[in-house]
Amino acid sequence: MASATTQQHLLLSPAELAYLHSSLSLTPPVRPDGRTATQFRPLTAETGVLPAANGSARVCFADGTEAVVGVKAEVEKRKVLPLSKGHEQIRESDGDDAVAGENDWVEITVEIPGYRDDDSSTVFLATMLSEALLADGEFTKKLWINRRFHWKLYIDQIILISPPLSYPLPLLSLTTHLALLSTRLPRLKSEADEDPMFDDDWDASRFIYPRQSSDTTSATVGSRPPVTLLVMAVGDNIIFDPSKEELAVADSALAVSVGERNAPVDEASETMDVDGEPQAGRQLRLLSVRTIDPPSRLTAPGVPNAVNAAAWGQGGPVAKDPGARAAEIDDVEGVWKAPRGGTKVAILGAMVQKVLEKGGIAEEVLDGLDAVDLG
Amino acid sequence: MPITILQPALVPVHSTRDESYGSESDSDGGVDLEGDISMRPAKRARRTGDDSIVTPGEQRQEPATAHTQRRTPPAIISSVAGTLSKTNKLLSVRPLRARYTPEIGDLVVGRIVEVQAKRWRVDVGASLLAQLPLSAINLPGGIQRRRTETDELQIRTFFSEGDLLVAEVQQLYSDGGAVLHTRSLRFGKLRNGVFMAVSGTGGGGGVVRAKRQTFVLDVGRAAGGGGAAADDAEKIDVVLGVNGYIWVSKHVEGEGAAAEGTGPGITRIEESVGLNVYSSQNDAIPPGTMREIARVRGVINALVEHGLRVDEEMVITGYHEAVEMARADGDGEETLYLGGERGKRLADTLVGR
Repeated sequence: MASATTQQHLLLSPAELAYLHSSLSLTPPVRPDGRTATQFRPLTAETGVLPAANGSARVCFADGTEAVVGVKAEVEKRKVLPLSKGHEQIRESDGDDAVAGENDWVEITVEIPGYRDDDSSTVFLATMLSEALLADGEFTKKLWINRRFHWKLYIDQIILISPPLSYPLPLLSLTTHLALLSTRLPRLKSEADEDPMFDDDWDASRFIYPRQSSDTTSATVGSRPPVTLLVMAVGDNIIFDPSKEELAVADSALAVSVGERNAPVDEASETMDVDGEPQAGRQLRLLSVRTIDPPSRLTAPGVPNAVNAAAWGQGGPVAKDPGARAAEIDDVEGVWKAPRGGTKVAILGAMVQKVLEKGGIAEEVLDGLDAVDLG
Repeated sequence: MPITILQPALVPVHSTRDESYGSESDSDGGVDLEGDISMRPAKRARRTGDDSIVTPGEQRQEPATAHTQRRTPPAIISSVAGTLSKTNKLLSVRPLRARYTPEIGDLVVGRIVEVQAKRWRVDVGASLLAQLPLSAINLPGGIQRRRTETDELQIRTFFSEGDLLVAEVQQLYSDGGAVLHTRSLRFGKLRNGVFMAVSGTGGGGGVVRAKRQTFVLDVGRAAGGGGAAADDAEKIDVVLGVNGYIWVSKHVEGEGAAAEGTGPGITRIEESVGLNVYSSQNDAIPPGTMREIARVRGVINALVEHGLRVDEEMVITGYHEAVEMARADGDGEETLYLGGERGKRLADTLVGR
């Protein structure tokens, strides 16, 4: 678990921060836009927006934040000679098991206008998204053509409003998910290790993630691209899809990546299967968890009336006595103080639990995404 | 259902601009002579300009003088994106989005972004930062005195970076920069509430200049509706800055921007200045009031999202409508959310559709 800051400069006054923090700490929390703790902002989604790409999607929030993701596939020759690695694999069996992917077959770039390409925040976003995608090694297997060639997938993500109105991770993740679902690769005509030849009939192309209806045999059928959700905690409240202001008072924030696989449970070793019965519902797997440094840690504390020289008439004569310093450190009701220390383990557990539990948020989000018409 | 994913709305189909070149104009029975362009109607169909959007750089052929349009003879080219409106021969484009243009006497909400030696620089949503000189604030203690070096040294105890304040535009520079002042009890630092930014004057919806920019909203009925009788009527202050910055907060008797008229006049300022004017400590706010503050914020958001104007009347009607809506839905009054479909319903009710 590494951490990174959200890197967005949002100036809020101590009084605002204190108000937001106390309203989000209520039970149930009162969010500034009136949503419930688990409610997402309504969004508009469509796929197939870029005619020249192999797959694309566009997602907009009502506030105008918009992301476009395009997926481009290229045929690339394998760098590794088939002698070294291929032989070991071929010894195991003849068929599908020889298929193995490598992580550099997928390249994700994030572009946010106004930010440099190598800005740490965009690089971190791209890394976090590719990490979730590559975590189980299933995805790169889909890019295998034969032992000499493979697909190289370029996933380009663009945010169309700058600066983004909230931390763009969930937006990008949802858009990437949809773009990958709509990605199609041309059908392979050549056989075995020949130079690849493809069917130029686009109608015959196959989806990289086959549809539920057409699934029959393969082990990876029914699997879905991962979804990364942003979860934050204020006090004991766990809040999903935080807006920028909410993130500014978060005690801790977490990016939880969840994948789904409808294959029978056979290798339950390191994966975390939450569903008890393999048949019912979705099989969710926790792919990665990263802590995100909320901007709240960098905020300046408020000054209690008791030590405020300018707020006169409230605290009485102070300002210089030794107790004044102590008052800045103590908690005073209604005065903002940046959160200190790490996240409590119990809260971390509760956050992940809330995402993964049966009928939890991840399931609902995947259900919602299922309903999107893939053009 | 925590997540709503909608289909994108269809792009509204505009009638094509060259409609008048349709086939029926050519089918008047006569034989077209080669190169005879006068067979086509000489006049173009007039666009009403309601729904047609022009983009910067788009050419308007009609020769006329115009506001907000750069003239490079003989063509007229729009310099902003917006809707075209036409008065006789005068063309003007009403911009979709515009920055706030300060005018003297405007009540604005601003955020301190920079502290300098003798003044603050304040973001008011205009193209330039406004400035607030140290001499234009009331000093604690109330007495009218010279600003000393001690005041300059502790300038951050009055306002520091990020602080929100409500002020009035006192003076304008020729470049459009504004000078603010807070020398009245109505003005000063803001606390006990939430901030939101909507488009100010210039855009379609948003805050408009009105007789009163600040008002008190009585929410006692809804806030205490849970059971306890609302004796101490809960009230909410709403400050609609002309620049589109809005502050919604708990009402505190005798202070704050909405205390207009109730507090002492500017002549008796010495008696009460100082009380909490520069405090950044919030009072205890009951959960019910917090809920209603969130509801008011939702109402204003819904108004802006649907292109309605934001003023005292609309906010108050909208608020009561929202309370009724939450009640009628049977989800209980706890339902505060006013985005998406609910926001649309609220806006439709308000305009009587």
